[in-house]
Amino acid sequence: MPQILERTETAESTLLDSPWVTLVWNDPVNLMSYVSWVFRSYFGFDRAEADRRMLQVHNDGRAVVATGPREEMERHVEALHDFGLWATLQQVDA
Amino acid sequence: MIPFRRDGDMITASFTNLERRLISDLATSIAELLAPLASHINDDPLYSATGIGGSSARHPDPAIARLLPNAHADDDAASADFRRLTERSLSSRKVTNAQAVLTSLESDSGSVVLDAALVQSWLRTLADIRLVIASRLGIEADDDQGTADTDELVMLRDVYDWLGFVTESLIEALES
Repeated sequence: MPQILERTETAESTLLDSPWVTLVWNDPVNLMSYVSWVFRSYFGFDRAEADRRMLQVHNDGRAVVATGPREEMERHVEALHDFGLWATLQQVDA
Repeated sequence: MIPFRRDGDMITASFTNLERRLISDLATSIAELLAPLASHINDDPLYSATGIGGSSARHPDPAIARLLPNAHADDDAASADFRRLTERSLSSRKVTNAQAVLTSLESDSGSVVLDAALVQSWLRTLADIRLVIASRLGIEADDDQGTADTDELVMLRDVYDWLGFVTESLIEALES
C-alpha cells in the first residue's frame, strides 16, 4: 500500500512542476535553409512549421522549439549542438 | 564544383582537387581542434563508458566555445553540469563526422557519393567549419561582414561564403 501512495505523490509532483523548454538562438552563421532543414529532420516539423520557427529565431532572436520534461529538453539541446545550432534549455516561469 | 544532386538514394557532387583539399584540410582542423576534448585524459573506465568527464567551464578558445556552447543561458552551474556529462560525447561525434567527410573525399575522381548517414555528417561538419571560420573572422551579428583586413582573412571570408554555397547545394539536393 505505501508503495502505491508513493507513486501517486511522484506523479503529482511531476505534474505540478512547471515544464522546461528548448530554445534556439539566432546566430549569423547557420543558413536559414539549414536551420529549417534541422527543424524538419530532427523534430519532424512540416515545412510551414519549420520555416515559421526558423523565421522566429531569425527575427526575434530566439524561438521555443520544444516543451516537456527537463531530461527530454537536455537531449534536444545536445542534439541541436550536434547540428551546430545554439540551443539552451530553461524552466518556464511558474 | 559540380553542385550536389540526387542520384536515386544517393546524393552526389564533384569537386576539383583544390576544393577537395580545402574541405579535407578544414575537416581535419575540426577533428584536431576537438580531439583533445573527445579523448580527454581520464582513465576511469566508468567515465569512458558513460562519456562523463567533460570540463566544467566554457572553453577559452571562442571557436571551440561556439561548437560546445553553454546549455543554460542564465545558469552557469547547470551549464557546467551539462558540459561535464556531454562534452566528451559531443566532441567525439563531431570528430567522427569530420573523419567521415575526410573518408568520403578520398576518391581520386573528385566525385563524392553520400548516403543518408554521410549527408548528416557532411551538413554537421560544414556547419562546424563555418562556425569556426566565423569566430576567427569575428562574425558575431547578422550584418557582420567580419574582419578581412589581410589577404589571408579575405581568402578565409571567400572560403566561408563558398562553404555556405556548398551547404545550400546539399540541402537543395535533399529536397529535390
